[in-house]
This record gives sequence, C-alpha cells and structure tokens, in this order.
Amino acid sequence: MPQPDETPSRVHDLFGTFLGAAATGILFSSPWQVDTSGPDPFYKGPLIYPLTVLGLIILASLPSAWRLVKAHEKATWKLDGGGFPSKPLVIFLFLIAFLCGLVLIGLRVSCLLFIGGSLYYLEHRRPGVLILVPVIMTGLIYVLFKFFLDIWFPTPLVLDWFGG
Amino acid sequence: MFEHVLTGIQASLQPGNLAALTFGTFVGIAVGIIPGTGPMVGMVVLLPFTFVFSPSTALSLLLGIFCGGYYGGAIPAILMRTPGVPSSIVTSFDGFPLTQRGEAQRGLSAALMGSFTGGIISVFILIFLAPLLAHVAASFGPPEYFSAALFGVVLVVMAYREQLSRGLLLLGLGLWLSTVGIDGPTLSPRYCFGSLSLQNGLHVVPVCLGLFGIGQTLILVERQILQTKAMRLTRRTLDFSKLVENFRYWKTMIRAGVIGTFVGLLPGTGSILASFMSYEAAKKTSKDPSAFGQGTPEGCLASEGGNNAVPAGAMIPLLTLGIPGDALSAVLLGVFTINGIYPGPLLLVKEPVLINTLYVSMFLINVVAFIMLALWLRPFAMIVKINSAVLAIIIMTLSLVGIYSVNTRLFDAAVAIVMGVLGYILLRLKWPIVNLVMGFILGEILEQRLRESLSLGEGSPVIFFIRPISLGIILLTILIVVIPLVLDRKRRKRTAS
Repeated sequence: MPQPDETPSRVHDLFGTFLGAAATGILFSSPWQVDTSGPDPFYKGPLIYPLTVLGLIILASLPSAWRLVKAHEKATWKLDGGGFPSKPLVIFLFLIAFLCGLVLIGLRVSCLLFIGGSLYYLEHRRPGVLILVPVIMTGLIYVLFKFFLDIWFPTPLVLDWFGG
Repeated sequence: MFEHVLTGIQASLQPGNLAALTFGTFVGIAVGIIPGTGPMVGMVVLLPFTFVFSPSTALSLLLGIFCGGYYGGAIPAILMRTPGVPSSIVTSFDGFPLTQRGEAQRGLSAALMGSFTGGIISVFILIFLAPLLAHVAASFGPPEYFSAALFGVVLVVMAYREQLSRGLLLLGLGLWLSTVGIDGPTLSPRYCFGSLSLQNGLHVVPVCLGLFGIGQTLILVERQILQTKAMRLTRRTLDFSKLVENFRYWKTMIRAGVIGTFVGLLPGTGSILASFMSYEAAKKTSKDPSAFGQGTPEGCLASEGGNNAVPAGAMIPLLTLGIPGDALSAVLLGVFTINGIYPGPLLLVKEPVLINTLYVSMFLINVVAFIMLALWLRPFAMIVKINSAVLAIIIMTLSLVGIYSVNTRLFDAAVAIVMGVLGYILLRLKWPIVNLVMGFILGEILEQRLRESLSLGEGSPVIFFIRPISLGIILLTILIVVIPLVLDRKRRKRTAS
C-alpha cells in the first residue's frame, strides 16, 4: 500500500499494528464476548458481522505490521515535528478530573476549576481572561442546562459527606 | 403534493424554526470563519441541545451550521490565505491576490454571490432529484440496500485511496464499534467486556463529539492555528456595488452549482473536490484562463459555488437511501434516527411535511447567510481574532456537559473523552477520520441488511448477484475500486519513466 508521506514515519505503522493486534485479540476472544447460545444459524446470528469486520481490520493492518518489521531505511520515529503532546495530555487529565469533579464537587465548582485551571495552564493569566471567562462560562452553562434544559446533575458527594 | 409544500413553507416560517435556522447559520458562519474548527465542531457541540426541539427545528439548526460553515470559510481564505474550511483553499487562489491588490471587497462579493447561487441551485436540484431517486429506491429490498450502503462505504475508502490500508483500518474500527452492545435481533450482548453501561451500545453523539469536537480542540490547544495579525477590512458591510458585476459570470454560477450538487451526491467525495472541479471547469471555459490564480473574482465565485452546493447534494442519498455522503450528513442521519425517523425511499411519502420543511429551510438558510454576511462582514471577520486556546477550553466544557445532558449519563462523557483522544491521535497522524465515522454510522445499516439478505437467501450470498439492481451496484462498486487503482498505477509508471 502506498505511503503518503515523503519520509515515512514508523509511528503510523506502530499505530496500525496496534489496531490490528487489538482486533486479533478481540477476534479470538469473540466466542466468549458474544452470547451465541440462541437458536439462530450462524448467518442470522450475532457473530457473523463482527467477525467479518474484525477480519477486515486485521487484513488492513498487515501492511503496517510488515513495514514495522521491515522498516524502510529512511523511516524514523519522527511524526510531524510537533513534539511530545504535553499540553493535550495535561488537558486530557483535566478533562478526566472535570468529569470526576461533576460527581464530587458539582457542576458549578468543577466548571470554574476546569476552565480556570486550563486557562492558567495554557498561560492565559491576565485577570480579565482568568476570572471573567470561567465565571461567565460557568454562569452560562448553569443557566442553559439547569434552567433552560432542566437537566439533572448529581448532588455533589462532598455536600453529602459534610451534610451527613 | 401542493398542500404538503404549503404546509412545509408554513412550518419552516414558524418563529421557532426561523430562530433555529438563523442561530444555526450564525454559529455555522462563525465556526466556518475560525480556521481549525469548521461546521463539524459547531454541529457536534450543538447536537445535545437539539433533543429538546422537534425534528424539523433540530434539523434546521444543524443544517444552518452545515451550510453556514461553507459561507464563513471563504472570508479568512480571501483575507488571510487561511481557509476556514478545507474546501475554501481553492477560493484563496484568487481571493488572496485580490486582497493584496486592495480589492478584497471584489473577492468577498464574488465568493458570497457564488455561495448564494450555488446553495440555491443545489436546493432546487435536491427538490427535483430526491423524488426520482426515491422512486428508484422504492423497489429496493435488503440486498439492494446492502449493496448501496457498501457502495457508499467503498466510495469513502477510495476517496482516501492514497491511505488505503489506513482508511480500511478506520472503516473497520468504525464498523466494529457499531456492534458493541446488545444485538437487536437476538438480544445477545456483544463486546461489553462485563460493563453494564456498554450494553446500551455506543451513542452517536459522544462518538462524533469526541472524535471531532474534543479531538479537534486538543489540536487547537497544542497549535496556534490562527493568524490574527493579517486581518484587515475597511468597510463594516459588503460593498453592494461590487455584487452586481458578478452577474456577468452567470454561466459559471450555474455550472458551479450543478457540479457541486452532483459531487455532494456521491459519498466520500467531499467539498474540496467540488471546489476544485468547479474552479477547473470555470478556468477551462473562461475567455481568460491565465487570470485564474492571479486574482479573478470568477475563481472565487466558481470555488464557493461548488462547495456551497455540496450540503444539498449530500442530502439526496441521505434522504432517499439513508446513506450519508460525508461525516456531516452522517451526524444528520444520527439526528433523524434518534428522533425515530428512518431516511429511505418511503421517507418522502411518510414525512412529506418534514421533507418540504427541510427544503424550504435550506433555501432560507442560504438567504439568511447571505444577508448576515453582507451586513455584518467585518464583525464576522473579526471572530478570527478570538484566541484558539480559550475557544478550545470553552468548546470542551460545553461539549462534555452537553453530552452528559443527552442521557444524563457520565459514561457518555467518558466515551467522548476516549474518542477525543483517539480523534486527536488520528488528526495528528492525518489519518482519514471520516472513514471511522462513516463506518460507525453505516455499520448498523450494513449489518441489518446483510443479515436480512442472508436470511432471504437461506445463508447463501448468491442473493446479492441474482437480483439485477444489487448486481449492478456491486459491479459499479468493483469498477470504482479497480479503475482508480489501475489509473494510479499507470500514472506512477509514467512518472517513474
């Protein structure tokens, strides 16, 4: 299969091989992951389609696996010169914390902390941005989701703990 | 028939629908202007809010973003040579040289006029072509539907054939993800890995919002995509005197609209091809082809006419066959099915009011987008000065709370975060992410039709080859795989020699 990049990066092949390996694992564990005890014949059953699809993934990953093993002499691990994704990684951790925060400390506080913390980390530290953006956005989200859409949000666990 | 059209006009002129399409168009233009976001991000962020609306209002809102995005994309392309949406890159070929010569208003007028005429022409083609295709599709059974869906999937894969194995990998991944959860016909749990939450399957909203919304914003956090210093615009509104001169390119306007609609009709081809084809057609038929690339309004007009005709073109297979042409219409398909409406040949018969409301709404969206941009050109253009990192954090927060609000399940928000990371990886690797979404959306249709067809054929796949329409579609599918590969091979050989 043709490679679109002028200097092939092995990261592509590693990722492709990883997907192929994961599909192989899932394919072999399929009889345990899918309940096939029903009376339907195989062609009507729940397994025919996923097995076909997993087979397609494995087949499509073979060129990547081959290139990973037999690397092109010019191939490097360099991807796009963008470096290690430290900022997205930290924001990803913030996102997980935000989700946990929704249960622990509630919508308003977690929104404020997530937006404020992220802006601080991304070096937007002018008071106008660091204070106004989180406060306005939290207010907007609260009004929009709580009052306009009437969405139920979990009661903060912290309140439960301290409220007995 | 006429009664349904009148009811459709009435429904689309209801205050709620008008407000939705106006707001959607506003958001669409804004996200179209901001490079690195685009209509997909706008659509997925507003997707959770659509569940409180009626299907026609929800679709008007999302169609407003879909169409408005293409209108907005031309502005930074002309003023800064930075396309707001990928297809506007073609607009920048002539738009930016016009700006450099101090004739930005000529470029913007041509782009806006091209967008408007392209959009309107495509809506008329949609109105006339959809019933014809629906009539043909009315004779479809499961094997024909399976073949048509397979044709759509193969077209998408072949559109990215320079990354064939990667495209197939992502398509397969999307198809597999659609199998997670309880299997409808047999009620067997599949690939739930012991998780009760996974038994409900993966919802289209968190998957799309994660891949496009969160994935794209993680890229925005990392890279300063916007070029804010280059933005200059002296007038607040469009220079209306420049609009009139575009009428001398009336043939280009019509041609671009027709080309864009038919390109949009084919799954996987996308708006970039529509822009390029319209631009090349205008160049070939122009009295002065050498002016193209040097700054001619005709180039902007052709390119924008082509890409603005794509949304209505993409609606034709979506409404008549239930097969989305691209990721944006795949999200629209999700909205249809969530509301219990299943696009297909019978949709035009069963839901005539909804269909006519959609037609009129698409027409109105083009009018609203034209007026908005003509009157508020500079305020819209200044949107590009918003800091991308601040914007990214706002989009992420809205996305996560929005996803939670759809089913009040934190699990969905967690799925969106995982999909966001996958989206980020795929965007950085520059893999064709659209294949994953198309696989996920079409997976259910493909599986259902495959199993129904095999049941009809008592387990034999011969059923796909003994029915004339199904066989015809399969042969066409084989041709679209073989011909481009053979042509590519010949081209490579010619280049090598």
